[in-house]
Amino acid sequence: MRTAGRSPQTIGFFGLFAVALVSGPVGHEPDPPEIYRFDLVATARAPGAIGTGLLNLAWSPFGVAVSADGFLVYDLALTVERVIEPQRLGPFTTYVAWIATPSLDKIEKLGFLSAAGKLETQIASWNKFIVLVTAEASTDVERRTGPVVLQGRSPSGFIASFQSHELFNLMPH
Amino acid sequence: MFAQSVIARGAAPFCLALLLVTVPLPWDSAIAQHPTGHHADADTTTLSWRMPSMPGMSLMMLPGMAEYRPDITPFLPGLGLDPMNLPRARPREVATLGEGDTLHLRSALVRRTILGKTFTMYGFNGQYPGPLIRVMQNTTIVVDFTNDIELPTTIHWHGVRLDNRFDGVPGVTQDLVPPGGRFVYQVHFPDAGVYWYHPHHREDIQQELGLYGNMLVDPGDSTYYSLVHREEILMLDDLLLQEGGIAPFGLETSNHTLMGRFGNVFLVNGEPTYQLSVDRGEVVRFFLTNVSNTRMYNLQVGGARVKAIAGDIGKFEREAWVPSVVLAPAERYVVEARFDQPGTYALTNRVQALNHLLGEFYGKVDTLGTIRVSDRSAVPDYGVSFDQLRANTDVAADIARYRPHFSRSPDFELDLTIRVGQLPQGMIQYMSIDTTYFPPVEWNDAMPMMNWFTNGTNIEWLLRDARSGAENMDIAWHLPVGEVTKIRLRNDEDAFHPMSHPIHLHGQRFLVVERDGRPNPNLVWKETVLVPVGSTIDLLVDVSNPGKWMLHCHIAEHLEAGMRMIMTVEDQSR
Repeated sequence: MRTAGRSPQTIGFFGLFAVALVSGPVGHEPDPPEIYRFDLVATARAPGAIGTGLLNLAWSPFGVAVSADGFLVYDLALTVERVIEPQRLGPFTTYVAWIATPSLDKIEKLGFLSAAGKLETQIASWNKFIVLVTAEASTDVERRTGPVVLQGRSPSGFIASFQSHELFNLMPH
Repeated sequence: MFAQSVIARGAAPFCLALLLVTVPLPWDSAIAQHPTGHHADADTTTLSWRMPSMPGMSLMMLPGMAEYRPDITPFLPGLGLDPMNLPRARPREVATLGEGDTLHLRSALVRRTILGKTFTMYGFNGQYPGPLIRVMQNTTIVVDFTNDIELPTTIHWHGVRLDNRFDGVPGVTQDLVPPGGRFVYQVHFPDAGVYWYHPHHREDIQQELGLYGNMLVDPGDSTYYSLVHREEILMLDDLLLQEGGIAPFGLETSNHTLMGRFGNVFLVNGEPTYQLSVDRGEVVRFFLTNVSNTRMYNLQVGGARVKAIAGDIGKFEREAWVPSVVLAPAERYVVEARFDQPGTYALTNRVQALNHLLGEFYGKVDTLGTIRVSDRSAVPDYGVSFDQLRANTDVAADIARYRPHFSRSPDFELDLTIRVGQLPQGMIQYMSIDTTYFPPVEWNDAMPMMNWFTNGTNIEWLLRDARSGAENMDIAWHLPVGEVTKIRLRNDEDAFHPMSHPIHLHGQRFLVVERDGRPNPNLVWKETVLVPVGSTIDLLVDVSNPGKWMLHCHIAEHLEAGMRMIMTVEDQSR
């Protein structure tokens, strides 16, 4: 996974979060298809916060970019709004985004959110995943320790086994 | 209207007679036990529908659906003939042709041995793949074709901007060549690169059974490519076998219509194991063609460094290092690899497959071959030039002439979607609860039972003109020669079963200028483009070649299920 936007960039951070707090809804262009977007949903620690994740298939000479192991490579753009200043949640200075498997057995840092509440990065080793946004003490943290303020699930995360569906049991065997 | 079969049109009475009787099959019924349990009681000594197994699918059959079969007639070419009485196919030979030379090409039944089993298949000139036609750029050759298979056919010269009369599209540029019939093609090669020829009638059968071959067009400019030690021309294919033999096809129309016919045995140049021996430090230029009915490839050459050189019709603006090579059906790419260390490099297809039934992705690696690298150093040493990535200023200059058109609005818009007819209610129910997510690209047969069942009588794949509402062959686009036109392709994610489509335009070349509103950073002239599910792609077409040209999905079963249209290019100077 290649990440971007990890360098410290704290000037005006809180003020711009405050600006984001009063800005309009996320996104002003037509929504991309559902398989290329997901919502970030606020937890009880950040009521009113909203966010989106946009997935764009990355370019390669062959059109869609695919990793050596066969994962589609996505340019991921996260946008959050209406998030309170992180220090109001405790000894925190910034918000950091993480990507994890649905079972949480694997988690990686995506990067920190800019003052405008944005993060653009590239992901290349995930099929189903969740995204967590946490308040953290520093942009340099390598492990998640702060509270989760937003969470979202990739569109691929919604496919589930047929076996658990009621129809599966109703059909004659 | 659903696509109607054309397979029987012009078919020899001999062929039809074979299909109307129950004929013992020449294989061992002792291997009838199906590894997944379903259809295991089927009689393998007769031609009947039995769902083939797919590797990696441990639980394929949905409850209540075990009795479903495609409601079309199963068909196998040469059924009832003893394959031992057929000529044994041999590996392809190179046919180097000069201006005006004639190649006699004949399609016929052949005997093939794959993984120790003998099959009745098709071959051009008794070879697998068909002869490799090698010509210089701007050469014109004659191909005198005779059809000796039991199905009517034609030959399409894929990617070649040739005279429309010889494009090989039945009902558009020529009549079908009946069994025993003949057609003489003239093929002019204006562009350097690698191309391929294949039937354009029931490709789902004829291509699957081996009727394909490459054309390698050498550039007039000796510096067009970098210096390499050798060139390898590889055709990537997959063949669908089931217990006892090749899985039957549909007679009236194809089955596997939802997702196309994925094979369960990989073939490189017709062999299940590709072998190459090179010296340490050797630089090999690979010309790759995906001739599979529907399968996408993500090809890796061991740990070798690989760079992308060229696409369907020419070089990239800039060469680029790549971790793997991604090929949609019908696409070609030219890549160069250097084998720095002695040892064995595996040629693998690595994908993240999906099991829709279990709702799970899983990594899948198939080894297609091996490259053995000796301790001996390759001479001369091309290491320095290999380390350089060329910027092709000639290509960039050519493309620059089209850049003023990049940002304009599309002239035509096509939606890629599907119409579903009479499917069993249970299947409809299952599919309707399976619509939460479809992957942008399908790497495997993720729902093999449903896919196997569907056919051209209950599924129609659609190209729909967004402005007129016309569909498939009812679409009427007319353009003058010399025009530059922008076509927008939208792959409808809200379709009943969306799927990625490799869209091919005959007789012209285009640039893929944008995907989902994001510009393509490294352009190359192409004629086939993969449109992922939910994606919107803008093509800029250099309308240079007059005639009636087909645009279609190159998944063989989607083409058979209607996903095709004609773009008429008029030469107004005539």
